[in-house]
Amino acid sequence: MRAVAGIGLRSPHIAEVAHDRPATGFLEIHAENYLTGSPALRTIERLRGDYEFSLHAVGLSLGSVEGLDDTHLERVAALAERLAPALISDHLAWSVSGGRYFNDLLPLPYTEEALDVVVGNVLKLQDRLKRQVLVENPSCYLGFAHSTLSEPAFLGELVRRSGCGLLLDVNNIVVTAHNLRLDPAAWLADLPASAIGEYHLAGHAVNDADGEPILIDDHGSRVSEGVWSLFDAVLERHGPRPTLLEWDTDIPALGVLFEEAARAGHALKVRAATDARAA
Amino acid sequence: MLALRDLQAALAGIVRGEDQPRLEAAVIGDAITAAARLRIYRHHIEQSLTTALAATFSTVQAIVGEDFFRAMARRYVAGDLPCQPVLAEYGAGFPAFIAGYEPATSLPYLADVARLDWALNFAFHSPAANHLTPADLSSLPAERVAELPLALAPGTAVLRSSYPIDRIWRVSQPGAADETVDLGVGGVSLLVLRREDDAAFVGLSEAEEAFLSAVERGETLEGAAEVGFQTGGAFDLSTTFARLLALKAIAATQHHFVERVEKAL
Repeated sequence: MRAVAGIGLRSPHIAEVAHDRPATGFLEIHAENYLTGSPALRTIERLRGDYEFSLHAVGLSLGSVEGLDDTHLERVAALAERLAPALISDHLAWSVSGGRYFNDLLPLPYTEEALDVVVGNVLKLQDRLKRQVLVENPSCYLGFAHSTLSEPAFLGELVRRSGCGLLLDVNNIVVTAHNLRLDPAAWLADLPASAIGEYHLAGHAVNDADGEPILIDDHGSRVSEGVWSLFDAVLERHGPRPTLLEWDTDIPALGVLFEEAARAGHALKVRAATDARAA
Repeated sequence: MLALRDLQAALAGIVRGEDQPRLEAAVIGDAITAAARLRIYRHHIEQSLTTALAATFSTVQAIVGEDFFRAMARRYVAGDLPCQPVLAEYGAGFPAFIAGYEPATSLPYLADVARLDWALNFAFHSPAANHLTPADLSSLPAERVAELPLALAPGTAVLRSSYPIDRIWRVSQPGAADETVDLGVGGVSLLVLRREDDAAFVGLSEAEEAFLSAVERGETLEGAAEVGFQTGGAFDLSTTFARLLALKAIAATQHHFVERVEKAL
């Protein structure tokens, strides 16, 4: 997929997009919203003629020690086969324990044990889908004292051992770095750049925890200025990639998403032009 | 050091409201304590799952209000977390939970409204399948038609309530006129269906309900008709069956059966 900007397609906007077919680089949908027999999947299939798609899973639970849920894996694989998306991704996180699903991207300790688990699950996923998947850095609200690797080092090992790519969520770097007292620049420097296949941008909220500000990855507002500047730094360091604007709570008019995506698209073009001149 | 399996089980415990001192000790705290950090996840899980239930059981929420609904849903979530990640399929046990939820006892119809919300949600997310058509039947001799084993189309459900949940449901939809429903009008039987772009329900007579319940059990047309006639009411088989075919309520699993019968003839 070319290094263009797209938007996350959410249910309040589907009818409008299906009717107006507005121009955008690509559309990303959450796999778990299209696994039933609802009429929504048919609409997505009809949009495939006009748009490239990215299939973003949120529930495969790549970090679960009990392994991937075969039933869910088969449903996602069937959807992937049906839509043949340009990109497929999920997160460096877990959401299943004891067969129960927690509907959140829960944090992993970055240990050799966890690395073995995630590598095994990613390999199984890629074997089933017969293609590479992208794994996204999560937003974290806590870190574990027994972690032996940094998050980017863990991602680097995961890439090396599984052959997966990375989905770099720039907002998540800002959120995690603030909450876990890390330096975003140092975080970025540790990452294997060549593996990055997509960027995500989204807004976050600033909440209060024990009287201290904590950043919450709620995808409920415009991208913050801090995230835009880090995005510029990411582009400078790692180069342009397909970039997605996500908005999941308090979803505004479609036009607001396109404004944000246009700003991302402009940053991608400026960087591509600068890189071309340098070359 | 917490093994990953123990860590994940312990975090699951936090979500259920348990104390997990070993997990808390493994989390790095500072001005924001380990406990506060863990609470963020617990709250998000609770919040996102109650939001999912509010989307599926929107009529229930419209009746009881958001605060009451969220308190009720939180109790349910803590005891019955999803078994898989498709949130549209979460909440099958919520109507039964509501039936036993003490603070809701003054609304005796609430659990049945929840069953209706769930049936509509289930229908909406069911695959659009082929349904039995009059043309499928017209080529067959009457005695063959009578022997056809029937089944409801995917997503179709028969619902019986002692309360007028159809009216309660309608007056509780967004934008509905401000009306009161007289519970004295009594119960209702409903057929919930997946349609082309949505899900809907229609009212059933007592005989129609008996007929369809027999279909649901896999009876033949003849067997289901007998059940319909036994209700004692005025049961008109051809009108009922024509109506159900027009509603696309009967599954086309018999297609193959019909073809086999045709080949055999």
